[in-house]
Amino acid sequence: MNKKKITGVLFAIVILIGVIFVWKFFSAPDPVDFSADIKPILNESCISCHGGVAKNGGFSLLFEEEALGNTKSGSPAILPGNALGSEMIKRVHSNNPEMRMPYKKAKLSDHDIDLLTRWINEGAKWGDHWAYSLPEKVAIPEEFEISKTASEEFLQNGIDRFILEKLETEELHPNVPADKNIISRRVAFDITGLPLSDKEFNDFNAGTISYEKLVDNLLSKPSFGEKWATWWLDMARYADSKGYEKDQSRTMWQYRDWVIKAFNKDMPYDQFTIEQLAGDLLPNPTMDQMIATAFHRNTMNNDEGGTEDEEFRVASVMDRVSTTFEVWQSTTIGCVQCHSHPYDPFLQKEYYNIMAFYNNARDEDTPSESPVLKFYNEEQQVDVDKVMDWVATFGNEKTTKAYADFLRLQEPVYHAHSAINFQNGVYDNHAAFNLWDDGSCVLENVYTKNSSYIYFKYNARHNGTKVTIRENDANGEVFASFTLNRTKGTVTERFPIKNIDRKVNLYLETNNDNVKNQISVMNVYWLAFIDDLPGEDEKDHTAINATFDKLLMAPTPTLPVMSENPAYMKRTTQIFTRGNWLMKADTVEAVTPKVLNAWNEDWPKNRLGFSKWLVDKKNPLTARTLVNRIWHQIYGVGLVSTIEDIGSQSAAPSHPEMLDWLSLRFMNELNWSIKSLVKEIVLSGTYRQNSETTPKGYQVDPDNVFYARGPRQRLSAEQIRDQALAISGLLSAKMYGPSVMPPQPDGVWQTVYSGQKWVESKGEDKYRRAVYTYLKRTSPYPSFMTFDSGSREVCTIRRTVTNTPLQALITLNDPVYVEAAYHLAKTMKTGSDLDESIGKGYEKATQSIIKGETLTVLKELYQTSLAEFENNMEAARDLLHFEDVDSSAELAALTVVASAIMNLDEFLTKA
Amino acid sequence: MDNFEKLIQEKIALEVEAKTRRHFIKQCATGIGGLALSSIFMGCDPFSSTPKQKIQFSPRDLNPLSTMAPPFSPKAKSVIYLHMAGSPSQLEMFDYKPILEKLDGQPCPDSLLRGKKFAFIKGKPKLLGPQAKFEQVGESGNWVSDNMPHFKKVVDDVAFLKAVNTDQFNHGPAQLLMHTGSPRIGRPSIGSWATYGLGSENQNLPGFVVLTSGGKAPSAGKSVWGSGFLPSVYQGVQCRSKGDPVLYIDDPKGISRNIKKSTIDAINKINKEEYTKYADPEILARINQYEMAYRMQIAVPNVMNIENEPENIKEMYGVEPGKESFANNCLLARKLVEDGVRFVQLFDWGWDSHGTGHQTALDLGFRNKCKDVDRPITALILDLKQRGLLDETLIVWGGEFGRTPMQENRGNQKMSFKGRDHHGDAFTMWMAGGGVKGGVSHGETDEIGFNGVEGRVSVHDVHATILHTLGFNHEEFTFDFQGRPFRLTDVHGHVIHEILA
Repeated sequence: MNKKKITGVLFAIVILIGVIFVWKFFSAPDPVDFSADIKPILNESCISCHGGVAKNGGFSLLFEEEALGNTKSGSPAILPGNALGSEMIKRVHSNNPEMRMPYKKAKLSDHDIDLLTRWINEGAKWGDHWAYSLPEKVAIPEEFEISKTASEEFLQNGIDRFILEKLETEELHPNVPADKNIISRRVAFDITGLPLSDKEFNDFNAGTISYEKLVDNLLSKPSFGEKWATWWLDMARYADSKGYEKDQSRTMWQYRDWVIKAFNKDMPYDQFTIEQLAGDLLPNPTMDQMIATAFHRNTMNNDEGGTEDEEFRVASVMDRVSTTFEVWQSTTIGCVQCHSHPYDPFLQKEYYNIMAFYNNARDEDTPSESPVLKFYNEEQQVDVDKVMDWVATFGNEKTTKAYADFLRLQEPVYHAHSAINFQNGVYDNHAAFNLWDDGSCVLENVYTKNSSYIYFKYNARHNGTKVTIRENDANGEVFASFTLNRTKGTVTERFPIKNIDRKVNLYLETNNDNVKNQISVMNVYWLAFIDDLPGEDEKDHTAINATFDKLLMAPTPTLPVMSENPAYMKRTTQIFTRGNWLMKADTVEAVTPKVLNAWNEDWPKNRLGFSKWLVDKKNPLTARTLVNRIWHQIYGVGLVSTIEDIGSQSAAPSHPEMLDWLSLRFMNELNWSIKSLVKEIVLSGTYRQNSETTPKGYQVDPDNVFYARGPRQRLSAEQIRDQALAISGLLSAKMYGPSVMPPQPDGVWQTVYSGQKWVESKGEDKYRRAVYTYLKRTSPYPSFMTFDSGSREVCTIRRTVTNTPLQALITLNDPVYVEAAYHLAKTMKTGSDLDESIGKGYEKATQSIIKGETLTVLKELYQTSLAEFENNMEAARDLLHFEDVDSSAELAALTVVASAIMNLDEFLTKA
Repeated sequence: MDNFEKLIQEKIALEVEAKTRRHFIKQCATGIGGLALSSIFMGCDPFSSTPKQKIQFSPRDLNPLSTMAPPFSPKAKSVIYLHMAGSPSQLEMFDYKPILEKLDGQPCPDSLLRGKKFAFIKGKPKLLGPQAKFEQVGESGNWVSDNMPHFKKVVDDVAFLKAVNTDQFNHGPAQLLMHTGSPRIGRPSIGSWATYGLGSENQNLPGFVVLTSGGKAPSAGKSVWGSGFLPSVYQGVQCRSKGDPVLYIDDPKGISRNIKKSTIDAINKINKEEYTKYADPEILARINQYEMAYRMQIAVPNVMNIENEPENIKEMYGVEPGKESFANNCLLARKLVEDGVRFVQLFDWGWDSHGTGHQTALDLGFRNKCKDVDRPITALILDLKQRGLLDETLIVWGGEFGRTPMQENRGNQKMSFKGRDHHGDAFTMWMAGGGVKGGVSHGETDEIGFNGVEGRVSVHDVHATILHTLGFNHEEFTFDFQGRPFRLTDVHGHVIHEILA
């Protein structure tokens, strides 16, 4: 560059600076942005008294209409364009403590007052919060001076461009890539929840396979589904018991297996959503689609004596509403059941509008957990097919559905708890009603479907009980009359009844003079009506009907699932005043919240339509929520750090453009594929950085929200145990099936009224992955609890990671870990000398080569232990009390060393 | 940020500024011959690179149970909460109703039953007179039944709440409400709040200890001592008087104390190296936790051992070493608070006196239950008093609700044993010790004990009062979760000043 040119450039720069200066000086400041500048002030200082809960002075700042509308004083508090005339601004300036806002709190800062004043003067423009709209497209930042800020290696994909842009503004530099052994261990845990096998480790570290190939291999392993299922099952509140006081076992594991398989198949997230929320409402649902709906049957079921089933049915429905919004929308809708949302734009009525979608599920908190999906064995299935073929041949669509539903779910039925007006009889608090001699009760509003039979599930301990069914009362028309005899246990049987095609009140009457007072002659669990079996005139009609009746009593495994009420059982949904289910107010329809995406009239107004609305690409929260949470699983911090809440009170996103870009990409380009999303994240240069830092570096960004280093987190409860079993060679690869009971101390289960016991599993079931461990809600597996797993009674979005002495006691003393240490020690013993033995154990456990100092420390521990065991062989034998052990002081000392290795921070953490 | 958080932050900042590095080491590295932490800080001091810097790590980063002072001066330092799971009948213990005696066998007035739901009572129940004799005792002249003969000695140390009410009448939800402020699962228990707010005085013991007796855990399960949305380090740790006192507290067979010490020494030395690489304070916290674990292994079995207590003390409580009993747990509670445990929660199961059999009959099994607790509770109060600990220990006693003045008629039939159904509208609790007046009785029920007519207090009021004695304003003691501040008393609660000293 010659001199002249340089002068020219300099001149241009001076002019430019001058222009900028003048422009800056004279131009008005940027207009105030409602979401960025105003809403945070309102939320922090105003909304608790002027929001969804309290509207003091008739003034609320939750919605635009309210904020600009008349207050109690008769005029608005905000006059757009006229800040000085606005009561709101007068009040924040006031020196009178009775007038000054925020009331009885510190005065707003001058900065905040200035913003509010300018905002009103600029017209008090309301704005939508970013969380409630999603842009159509986001551009990836392009221009970087690579050499200055990061190596080429850092920029692996789009993620890194967003990250780097932010790092540059923060004047931070990314770390170098992590060593191969470190990144391969990290990615193995993030994808499969397990350490790499020796072969995988060697292939990658020797360069035989690329990083991307390693990632692909890991993604295709069945352990991927097991790892990610654990995350989903926390949100799905999956457990093996019903919760509440009795906390009896329930069969739920088929749902857990469904989740694992869905992740492994990489079922697109929209389909994954629809099948779980409304699989039963899909056309001709498959067994798998029915199993998926157990998602919302993970709600608790209260079998405690004296509880009102309706109260706990309602509690389940409310839990489904809350859980759905927590899982898919990062929104705490629960508080809206009592009042409008304190800060997010949801009205109280809208909670019940959503509840209306969920309020017509058939389940009613009965101990049987009906409706339950029946799993017929092959032989039974032959009969099922026979009946269904018959109905398909001679019946119509309606009868086919009725028979299919009844064979699959034994619903719809009228449960015993709906009976009222007992004379000489009683509902025995759960399950059945009992009638005595001269007993009677009424079931109101029963639709008998014009059928010729009434089905009873009942038992009777006496012969010759006369049962009469009348309309309304003792004087009503007789619909049916039959005699019951002693049954062998509980049976399902049908009795002829008059054909009636309307809703009636059934009056049931029992008489048996041979039985003493107050002795039950009939215990009824439910009664039901099924369309008559078609093809009356065909020759096999009676035989097929008998086959059907037999199937109703066929014992099968079951799973609680969702099923919708038929039209004649439909419930209306009413607002509960202050959230109290006994105080019912206005009736509401099923409607989705106004602030979110619009409803498409093609969708059915039920759970199916609702789930389609959730995964509609216009929904601003579904993809963001999922992307944010997957990111959180991998980095330990969300792009929105409040992973449970994305809304007006949530933390601001650390990388807002990237959150939107990834969300759009997840839906439109990755086609809702979770595997692809995980792959995208772990292939990024951001993820592949090493996680080392200095105290100063740590202090600059303690939570690593700028990503100038790789993620580093303690492993989860499940991963810690799985890892111990894996590296010691004990881990079973067996997948699926009923939950298992690995060793736990005696006396941990102490549950009221339940004779259930922890029966230790045998053989390889002792060493299954943690995801298969039996979870009793009132008493979960203790070592997992200590490492922050939950009891899964309600939806858990985040496990708070803690660091406690009780955790040390587990990995040091729990027999599970002692056994693992012993097995690791056996592998170590194959080393040719002590150095090699210890090095081998360390490498096996941490997938790193042992350093000199570490080896010295562990050798010292070995020598101390060895000396002691040599003097006390009894102690060595005590420690190595396992089967077929050739106990020696050396092996005992190595076991001590192995245990120490398995307690290292390096072992418990993925770095 | 709410006020309490601000206070905490300010306090931490002040503390950290005030403390020199030496102080810190002295406070934290008293374990195993001061082995690990001290050596770490000599070699690699996280504070040394930036000596003038404010907080680099708060004490809570390294130890989430480190002690913190409450915002107001506390009356009580620790709490012993005696929960009678199943809910004892106030009408046979403390709430004397002579009119009910006269009305025994009469049908319950319809006006009381209208719109009411009961767990088991159906149709038209009959009133049941008190199944115990009462007398006025002590200087206060408060009523105590002859089911509680020993308790009469300490009646002047106790403040009765005679008209507590709850809106829950099933065990699980009512216990949750009583211990977490919400009938639904997911909120932290009182003990968790207390430990979160105050930390623990003794770093060798858990800050919040739970002891159960009666053979069963409370109906609501472990959630009644769960930490809800607070970090799980604040949940109650169940200590057992049978089996390992704390799960996995014992070394594996064959591992001597010396080997365990060498093991932890080795682990911490290697972890210290790890810290130099990653600078993650979690590693320092882990070093700290391993030392604490080692110390707990000595401290817990020590404090949980009642064998070595003097004979007169054992007799005073009526303990049965080696068994699981309420008496043992009362003595343990005293030892635990004496050693600086913040919150001790006792659950005694078996108080659900429906009258469905011998065990649950008010004139039979219920009397045995009273007998089981009468002496130990009395001993606990006297023992704390003689040690000068009663003033700084708050004792709370109660069930999750009360019982009906009517006899239960399960299945609308006359039952052959005398029992009462669940009743939330009025029941008795009492408090004693730290910050509470002795010899007071607050609140009154109507002539038959159905409703509170004066001084009605809610479960939230009880919580507000407990927090008050610990030095918290219950309205300002909050934790941010899901975008909003949560508190133990939610939007309710008034401190019951009438019983405060």
